[in-house]
Amino acid sequence: MKRAVMINSKDNTATTFDDIEAGDMVSLASKSGQVGEITARQAVPFGHKLALATIGRGEKVLKYGEVIGLATQPINKGDYVHIHNVESALLPPPKEVK
Amino acid sequence: MEFLGYERPDGSVGVRNYVAVISSGRCANEMAATIADAVKGAVPILHTYPCVHLKEDNERALRTLIGLGSNPNVAAAIVVGVGCENPPPLEIGEGIAKSKKPVEVLTVMGSKNFQDLLDKGLAIARSMVSQASQMQRKPFALSYLTLGVKCGASNATSGIVGNPVTGRVFDRLIAEGGSAIFSETTEVVGATHLLAKRAVNKEVARRLEAAVDRMEARIKATGDDIRGSQPTRGNIEGGLTTIEEKSLGAFAKTGTSPLQGVLEYAERPQGKGLFFMDGSAMTGELIGGEAAAGIQIHIYNLGGGLTSSFRCLPGWAGGLPILPEIVVVSNPSKPRDSQEKECFDIYADTIIEGKESVDQVADRLFQEIIAVASGKLTKQEMRSGYRELLVMYTTGPIL
Repeated sequence: MKRAVMINSKDNTATTFDDIEAGDMVSLASKSGQVGEITARQAVPFGHKLALATIGRGEKVLKYGEVIGLATQPINKGDYVHIHNVESALLPPPKEVK
Repeated sequence: MEFLGYERPDGSVGVRNYVAVISSGRCANEMAATIADAVKGAVPILHTYPCVHLKEDNERALRTLIGLGSNPNVAAAIVVGVGCENPPPLEIGEGIAKSKKPVEVLTVMGSKNFQDLLDKGLAIARSMVSQASQMQRKPFALSYLTLGVKCGASNATSGIVGNPVTGRVFDRLIAEGGSAIFSETTEVVGATHLLAKRAVNKEVARRLEAAVDRMEARIKATGDDIRGSQPTRGNIEGGLTTIEEKSLGAFAKTGTSPLQGVLEYAERPQGKGLFFMDGSAMTGELIGGEAAAGIQIHIYNLGGGLTSSFRCLPGWAGGLPILPEIVVVSNPSKPRDSQEKECFDIYADTIIEGKESVDQVADRLFQEIIAVASGKLTKQEMRSGYRELLVMYTTGPIL
């Protein structure tokens, strides 16, 4: 099975350890071992991020147990999370996304 | 635990034993290279620094060149200059002399002509190399070691593999009484709050925050923001979405030790433990600054981003000839090529493959550091040919 890692238990994203295709079942590991499985709704390249929960527009995106940015559009569980739907929280407010 | 190093008159211990021929200004690079290339055991320190900078940059450049000459890996130094440049060659020489090691200053203005300078330089270099060659390695405690680090070609594996591995090695060396320096002010943006909590006192936390604020103010003053530069295009390709994500991954390389101090670029730390150095994320600048602060070994943590396809080219990874660099790779980029293991000192992809733990790889890296400190050549040291020019950190305009 394809693999992804949830680095901190607070995280709403996991980092993939394989290239993932839409529809793949992904086994989810944490520091304490296997924590479950998730179905990818979209393709996620190796090392990129998979949403572990629904994240509303403007809500915090978490990795390492810390905020890595804000969602610029609604993100569903199993979605690919990257620059198309997240922006730094330290920058000027995210641009309007149609 | 101990390593075998060269004792220096100032009490520091070198892991290499070079005669450094230091160019005081870029006009003198060719003279320094001509002398160093003609004498085995001598290495040139060449850089791009021009005279046309303001005072703050000139002072930093002077501190950098003094620091490089004073680095424990240098047995003796020759400063070569035209004589009219900034930083002034005599001041560089006087600064290095405080480390009590042999140092000579040669300038074109103080010589009959160019050939006269070369003749004197070659004679001095041969004499210094002859003296240095008679020094013997002796056992020293690991507390005499100071490591530096840079993460490059960062991708998502950097924060999970290479940086946590380095963090554990830093913790272990610091527990043995040694020191470690990390830098890259832009990569503290987004992780400042976590680092500030580890500062030994409020003043250190304040100086850390001030360094980050200064960098942010410099970016804002241009009317631009960090987007489009950090994370880099290669980082984004490797899965890093924002500067916070990059910084939090980079932060793992600092380990868990208390932050003892915040250094200016090329400033030597007082005391032992973990130090942060203000500076840019540019590889050459960072390595030069850390070497000037006295690190004897540099760890270069590669992720698997786009730029790691240059991994077999020594200049790309900084290439300062007085400094052995241990290259750790977290994840080989695709397509995998059979030669790539040849380019790295520590292959850490085993963590992603599920074959080794972070602790196991950290143990391998720690053993490698002791071996390299005792004389083992790194992969980069075994390559020759191309030489990178040092670039010094500047904050002011070139006039």
